[in-house]
Amino acid sequence: MREFMTGNHAVAHAVKLCRTPLIAAYPITPQTSIYEKLSEWEASGAIKGIMMRTESEHSAMASCIAASLTGVRTFTATSSQGLALMHEMLHFAAGCRVPVVMANVNRLMSAPWGFWADQLDSLSQRDTGWIQLYCENGQEALDSVIQAYKIAEQVYLPFMISLEAFFVSHFMEPVEIPDQEKVDQFLPPLDLPHRFNMEKPGFYVPVVPSELYRKYRHMAQNSMDSVKEIAAQVDQEFKAAFGRGYGIIEPVMMEDAEIVLVTAGSITSTARLAIRALREQGHRIGLLKIRYFRPFPRESLQQALRGKKKIAVIDRNNSIGGGGIFCQELRAALVHSSDHPFIYSYVAGVGGTDVTPEVIQKIALHAIDRTEPVDESIWIMEE
Amino acid sequence: MKVYAESSELVIPISYESTEVIETGKWGFQKPHTAYMTAPCVETCPAGNPIPTFIYLAGEGKFGEALETILKENPFPGVCGRVCFHPCESVCNRNQYDEAVSVKALERYVFDATVDLSSKLNPAPNSDPKKIAIIGAGPAGLSCAYFLALLGHRVTLFEARKEPGGVLRWGIPDYRLPKSVLKREIKRILRLGVEMKTGVMVGKQISMESLNQFDALFLSPGAGVSLPLRIEGENLAKVWKGTDFLNRINTGEKVRPGKEVIVIGGGNTAMDVARSARRLGSSVTVAYRRTKKEMPAISDEVEEAEQEGVRFEFLIQPVEVKLLKNRKLRIKFQRMKLRKTSQDERPRPIPIKGDFVMMEADRLITAVGEGVDLSWIPQVLIENGFLKPASSSWSGKTKVFAGGDAIDQQRSVVMAISSGKRAAISIDLSFRGLDPEEVFSKIRVGSKGALSMEAYLKGRETGVWEEPKGVVVYDQLNTVFFMPSERVIPGRLDTVKALKGFSEVHTGLSSEDARRSALRCFSCGTCNYCYNCYFFCPEGSVSLDPVNRIRKVDLDHCKGCGTCVRACPRHVIEMRLIS
Repeated sequence: MREFMTGNHAVAHAVKLCRTPLIAAYPITPQTSIYEKLSEWEASGAIKGIMMRTESEHSAMASCIAASLTGVRTFTATSSQGLALMHEMLHFAAGCRVPVVMANVNRLMSAPWGFWADQLDSLSQRDTGWIQLYCENGQEALDSVIQAYKIAEQVYLPFMISLEAFFVSHFMEPVEIPDQEKVDQFLPPLDLPHRFNMEKPGFYVPVVPSELYRKYRHMAQNSMDSVKEIAAQVDQEFKAAFGRGYGIIEPVMMEDAEIVLVTAGSITSTARLAIRALREQGHRIGLLKIRYFRPFPRESLQQALRGKKKIAVIDRNNSIGGGGIFCQELRAALVHSSDHPFIYSYVAGVGGTDVTPEVIQKIALHAIDRTEPVDESIWIMEE
Repeated sequence: MKVYAESSELVIPISYESTEVIETGKWGFQKPHTAYMTAPCVETCPAGNPIPTFIYLAGEGKFGEALETILKENPFPGVCGRVCFHPCESVCNRNQYDEAVSVKALERYVFDATVDLSSKLNPAPNSDPKKIAIIGAGPAGLSCAYFLALLGHRVTLFEARKEPGGVLRWGIPDYRLPKSVLKREIKRILRLGVEMKTGVMVGKQISMESLNQFDALFLSPGAGVSLPLRIEGENLAKVWKGTDFLNRINTGEKVRPGKEVIVIGGGNTAMDVARSARRLGSSVTVAYRRTKKEMPAISDEVEEAEQEGVRFEFLIQPVEVKLLKNRKLRIKFQRMKLRKTSQDERPRPIPIKGDFVMMEADRLITAVGEGVDLSWIPQVLIENGFLKPASSSWSGKTKVFAGGDAIDQQRSVVMAISSGKRAAISIDLSFRGLDPEEVFSKIRVGSKGALSMEAYLKGRETGVWEEPKGVVVYDQLNTVFFMPSERVIPGRLDTVKALKGFSEVHTGLSSEDARRSALRCFSCGTCNYCYNCYFFCPEGSVSLDPVNRIRKVDLDHCKGCGTCVRACPRHVIEMRLIS
């Protein structure tokens, strides 16, 4: 069924389709409409299960972890400051190897105060051991939530789906809602080997000696590495079942491209339009969308960008003192490439500023004109 | 689907050992202390009745234990559950939330529901028992005898009348207090080994001097002398004294007060007289010199008298009684007005000059107060027309104490009980050579005069008593955990039925109502095992055992966060710094 809806409601629909029996959340703009929609459904009985209205995001995540350890599917949604408040529990979720799925609506980190799109909130949580995925639009958000459960529940790692404030969370687009029956077929029931066992009561998160700590951390790393393969496989299964696939990364008009724009999230949609215009102007330009940030799809990117001369990464985020974060990661991934390309870092759209086709063309032309590498991130501002 | 772990421990570490070895309790600098505070009802009850505890037990359906709890502090639950003026209910913290708990009705229910009288009351060990004589077996004398017996002493009760009970036996009518109830209570007291000598009047059958053979005396002769009106005509045969009238009814005599009866007075005796006369077929008018507001009678009694058709005439005072030729009495009343004297005092009735009113009746019954017959009592024991509660000397070694209506205190059954308990402890302390005031300051229940026998017994052997507990005020309760509910009103005979005889008017609570009423108690300061602390404790350090009534905190693991204090609805727990 196709419906006209916001990205947030698309996420809520996905949670409903996945029959998640425990939702624990705390409202925060611009995530609140996910929370509200699910609350509404809980009240009407449209979703079965418990919606915990916790007193903070920290408690919401703690609730999800504990509930998950009883062996049930869990969900939470948050944004920006809420995600930051969860930080401690994010580490616990990964360390407890619980397949919690969370939607994070990318909102700038204060101060100054604001509600606008910026990926710094989730990128600040990159080392917490969560799988991270960035969505381009509402449809992808819906589909990614379903995929997320299937992946997380195989590797026992928590999964964070990010969608940008307003550009995705509140923009209304036609969204295809999959049939419940088909989702049920696609998503098997959760079976968590380490869930609480009443027959054999145990204490979780005990103090462990150094060697044991290292062992479990290493196991988590291996599990995270396996996500690249499993995610690709799940995406293919999803495509077979629902007719839509996204890949780990998505190359667009890359075959003959000399210069490649790299984007993540909603800027990708605009870039799709911008490169068409640039190609009409005669530029051999392509586009590469990065969907997964954790695990960082190093091998796929190396392969996709082999032989390319110039790469321009557009980041709607900035690590102060480091620059655009996707670009840092990409540079690291390509550091051993034999025909080392020039990788330019552009910071655009920070704080929810609009990244128009014109801005993207300006970035592309700037990169085309360069003959020398540039280390620093280049900030794109209005004239 | 790939399986990345074969067993749970391969995914995350899980300890199957206890974490108790980690003594997190050592991190804290304060610890919760189960304080068990005093509830305002207990403080206000002159007998110091452990109300929340007995109500908790009643709510659990443990009526026998509830009765035993009351009996620690009050030998008359069946009586007080019927005739007490229940000051406990007016200070009930629940008043500030919705309506007070029906404490009096519950006390009665507990007594009525307990058929078996073989209570587990045992006298405390006493290696040096003394002989004590008690003069007057009313509520004060019986109470003193009861507590002295519990303290292991040998008590002899001298009662002038042919049966014990005093005002409970000869004053209060059956419709308020059935004789069977009183009998049960007295039987229980006597079974403790109290020797009862009825029909013995000091000054007649035995002399005051002969009581010197006892180690201590307790005088509780009561106040049985009706005070005179001091007006012309009051000695006419058609003018009766209220106490005599009630006494005759309670003796079983068939009394016929006549068609039209006027009762003078506004106290409980006047109400008993008026309502008894109604039951004997009279039409009754109560004449009182102040207004309804100033009546000393228990307000429930006044209300019930009104419902039973007793008429009230306020602000009139009799000045003259005449016998008319038609054998009727004509009473001349002076009209009065009230004058406020000071803030605290009751307004005084002042005659309105020249304003009189005449009334005719077949009978006039006076109930304007009762005096103490002090004729047989040595002067040294008397002060301002009352007996002194404690006299250091009288004739040598015998110590003399007094209580009940004969001492200068508010006249009520529960005050009589209270004075009996106080005297019993004073007598026991006098044998031990301890200063009663000092001990009273430790065993007091709040600061309104009540003493705790349980507290006294706790320190009696060692001579060391704990400090008394504080009283829980409403603001200390966490009322978030309560729900508004209606006060439970006990049943009553309908008026037509009630006036047919002397059957008990109040029919008491049904078992369902009793339970509902008991569960309304906030249980201020007393743990009733609501499990809030248990559920809220983040450390799982609280353990509760309602069966054996034990509340324990595992201090080796309690970090001292104070959550239990916040979560306790009834202020049972307090945080104390670790010194």
